[in-house]
Amino acid sequence: MTRIAYRRPEEMTVRARELTLERGNLNVYRALANAEKVFTGWMLAGRAALTSSVLPLRLRELVILRIAFLMDCPYELGQHRDVARAAGVTEDEIHAVTSGTHWHATGYFTATEQLVLQLTSELLTTQRLGAPLFNQVHEALGSEATIEMLMVVNRWSGLALMLNALDVDLDETARLVMPPAEGGGT
Amino acid sequence: MSRIPLTSAEQQSDEIRQFMARRGELNVFRLLANAPAVFVGWTQMVDEILESPTYTTRMRELITLRVAHLLGSTYELAQHSDLARAAGLTQRQIDAVLDAGDLNAADFSPTERTVLDLITELCSTRRLRDDSFAAAHAELGDEALTELLMIISCYYGLALVLNAVDLDIDTTARLRP
Repeated sequence: MTRIAYRRPEEMTVRARELTLERGNLNVYRALANAEKVFTGWMLAGRAALTSSVLPLRLRELVILRIAFLMDCPYELGQHRDVARAAGVTEDEIHAVTSGTHWHATGYFTATEQLVLQLTSELLTTQRLGAPLFNQVHEALGSEATIEMLMVVNRWSGLALMLNALDVDLDETARLVMPPAEGGGT
Repeated sequence: MSRIPLTSAEQQSDEIRQFMARRGELNVFRLLANAPAVFVGWTQMVDEILESPTYTTRMRELITLRVAHLLGSTYELAQHSDLARAAGLTQRQIDAVLDAGDLNAADFSPTERTVLDLITELCSTRRLRDDSFAAAHAELGDEALTELLMIISCYYGLALVLNAVDLDIDTTARLRP
């Protein structure tokens, strides 16, 4: 049961409301909109993360699912299972990436996906990273995509903390709508 | 030694250059500017957090320092220890936040203690017990509590990026909050 009252879209500023409705008026947004002085900036950062085409969608969603699992965040898992499915991740792959230690032995993931998932796991578990693994990922992705991938870890690990702290209920049916890449931006 | 090359400010778009001119030409910004498609949105978030009047600079620096410490982020600690001092935290309080002194003997206000305890529990266990949440909610109310979570979230996630990249601490550049 969510621990805080939801803001209704009509109580938000015009920009905050646009950004909230564009993404499906989810419980997560209605809860975080309580922080009205910083919510719009947070939504804009999210919009950029969701619309950038630098990382393959499938890779981004695998990382988010792994984060959601490691942060023990049922809300993120609930929303992003569906996003991952839409990005072509199969049920077996979703199961593998949201379970303990056997994901890498399944043969489902490409070499690069495995490296990135390994990096995500090590970073979230130990809060740091050995140089060899980092360098392998950097070599596979290049600097721009490596930073974007780390920014995915940044955003969705921090979001998991907020969702867990507020105990936000998973939406019954509403699901994240991907914002269009152009228009409505900054 | 940073594991990814840093960009130079001159190579950036107007928006990014203006941000660095305003906040400082820090290694963290030069690092993240490697990913311009997401960096600009992130700077808008940071600007709003730094400009919000909900918390005093002192409280924001207290929050940041505690998160930085719990995540073991030497970069965030290096940047924010000076800011915390400038915002009025005493050396004894800073030591306590870094677990090098006694939190109970550092003259924190009840609100500051509530905030510190919430951060410790959330960053260590990834959740909050019902009574911890209720205490913070009663003390802060809906807006300030949610904004506190936004600040924690910002520096928690950023600390992971900085630790992953092993970013070098700036020699002289300092954040302008």
